Amino acid sequence: MTGSEISVMVVDDHPIWRDGVARDLTERGFRISATTGDAVSALRISRTVHPDVVLMDLNLGDTSGVEATRQITQEIPGTRVLVLSASGEHADVLEAVKAGASGYLVKSASVDELVDAVRRTSVGDAVFTAGLAGLVLGEYRRMAVTPDDSDPDPPRLTERETDVLRQVAKGLTARQIANKLVISHRTVENHVQSTLRKLQLHNRVELARYAIEHGLDQEGEAPPD
Amino acid sequence: MGSTTSDSTDGHRNRTLWPRMWRTLTTTGESPHTTTNRNGQLEAVPDGRIPLWRAHNGLRVMTLIYAFAWFLVMLPDYREPVLGSAIMASMVAWTAFTIWRYSKPSGRTKRLVLLDQFVTTGLFGLCYFVLTEHQLEQGLPTVVTMWHASMVTAAAVRCGMPGGFVSGAAAAAANFAMRGYIDSNMWMDTALHLVIGLLLGLASETAKHSTRRLARALRAEAATAERERLARDIHDSVLQVLARVRRRGGELGGEAAELATMAGEQETALRTLVSTGPAERGGTSTDLAARLRAFEGTGVNVSVPATEVTLPAETITALCSVTGEALQNVAEHAGPEAHAWILLEDLGSEIVLSVRDNGPGIPEGRLEEAAAAGRMGVAQSIRGRVESLGGTVTLDTSLGEGTEWEIHLTRTDSRDRTVHSGGRERGNY
Repeated sequence: MTGSEISVMVVDDHPIWRDGVARDLTERGFRISATTGDAVSALRISRTVHPDVVLMDLNLGDTSGVEATRQITQEIPGTRVLVLSASGEHADVLEAVKAGASGYLVKSASVDELVDAVRRTSVGDAVFTAGLAGLVLGEYRRMAVTPDDSDPDPPRLTERETDVLRQVAKGLTARQIANKLVISHRTVENHVQSTLRKLQLHNRVELARYAIEHGLDQEGEAPPD
Repeated sequence: MGSTTSDSTDGHRNRTLWPRMWRTLTTTGESPHTTTNRNGQLEAVPDGRIPLWRAHNGLRVMTLIYAFAWFLVMLPDYREPVLGSAIMASMVAWTAFTIWRYSKPSGRTKRLVLLDQFVTTGLFGLCYFVLTEHQLEQGLPTVVTMWHASMVTAAAVRCGMPGGFVSGAAAAAANFAMRGYIDSNMWMDTALHLVIGLLLGLASETAKHSTRRLARALRAEAATAERERLARDIHDSVLQVLARVRRRGGELGGEAAELATMAGEQETALRTLVSTGPAERGGTSTDLAARLRAFEGTGVNVSVPATEVTLPAETITALCSVTGEALQNVAEHAGPEAHAWILLEDLGSEIVLSVRDNGPGIPEGRLEEAAAAGRMGVAQSIRGRVESLGGTVTLDTSLGEGTEWEIHLTRTDSRDRTVHSGGRERGNY
């Protein structure tokens, strides 16, 4: 399995890890277009080099990997972000995925898993581990259970999407899920992608609304009614 | 204190002096930022009753000025002007002394507050000999007048509602004894004494509890901050190296792979350690998600929501031991290659916990055989525990398909239904 033509930027504030990952990917034929240790330069560099995939650590000292993920995925079309993070950072991983990351891999994953994840990310597929499925499922559940006045219309999962997400979270592969639910392999993938897209779209709408409300407040204008 | 009028001329004369006097008399002699707690640690929590002591001191000064104004007006008509002047002098001296003592934490003793009651009541009693019978009957103010109430405020601030009530009742009783008659003014005085005592006592108790709660919250916050700092340090150093060793060693194979496995196990253990919050939250509910994450390791994958899943502590302990038992069963019977997945879902009114493995599964009839042979099978044990919690459990297995336990538990305590936001605030906007 080689990764020719796929350019990758590695963002991690720890040099041992950053260089190790870069070397692993180079050995497998990927082109490392840049490595950096902070979110600000990650954004600046990716504006010029347009990598296919950004491998993003979320624990970047004082700067936020989540915010960098949001800006990169919004500003640079064609560049996708794959979060490569420690297993303990559940809340941050969820925020990064809502902000636009295509998937999430724990740092303890093997090189084969990493290579596979980077390849899938580069063609626009979501990299859904069991852990991420649990987080996304939990987020939909939270929105359904917790009434929130500022969010009158939270996105919901269809019954089928819920079924699929639960199976992913329980560690079944797409093929196993397809067999179990008697649907095609591609349909399973589509359901998974759609759960993520809905969440990201909703997050963007929420952010825009927040910004508008905030902007109006700052100018001290009277409410339109 | 039978009067409700005040002498505005006299009050005006004192006004220019007032601000400086007020500051001098009501400043407490301590910095609120350097009090120490029982463990001798520096603590940033000022006693919540400090403003109440200030208010008491201020009230004492104001009522003294009020009493002095009446004293000047009534002095020519007193039966015993010399004794009246002596009482007034004692009031000034006692006011100065108590303000000096009450302005320091060390001076706010129960003994001084008790002495305060006797001195004030004594001075009030002496007024009986100062006023003429006619003045007493007319309801004209005594020398002490409203200053009398400052003993009630002291008792209320120091001893809470009981102190305020007893002192207020004592002041009212002394008033009745002195006047020897009952009218609407007297009833109003009585009510005022009791209400002041009870209200200020309530305020004092509330302030005391708030101070204690704030101190506890600040301690917990400091512990969490320290933990987070430690977690960051460990994340930046040890964990990165362990993760790298695990990855590289696994690829090299042989002995290096063994070392890699060990490094990996330590990495997982350390991550779990730094990622789970402090065990003690000061309540009986804790986060099941955090507890389940501790099972994450080689061969076990844990999927939980990013938010806390709060349940009573004993329920969590029971669910964790059930999960442990199921995983133990996987380790013993599903073979070394088997992998297990834990999924926790919070549906608000109920929680769903699944434990699945990809082992060979349990052949049909084996569980029944075990039960029939009198052996307490794992299924029975798990079922028993879950049912004693009021939940249901289903076992889905067949040969070659792995095993899946699914536990449904309805929440009984509506307070636990709230989905806590956990660490979500951090990266939200």
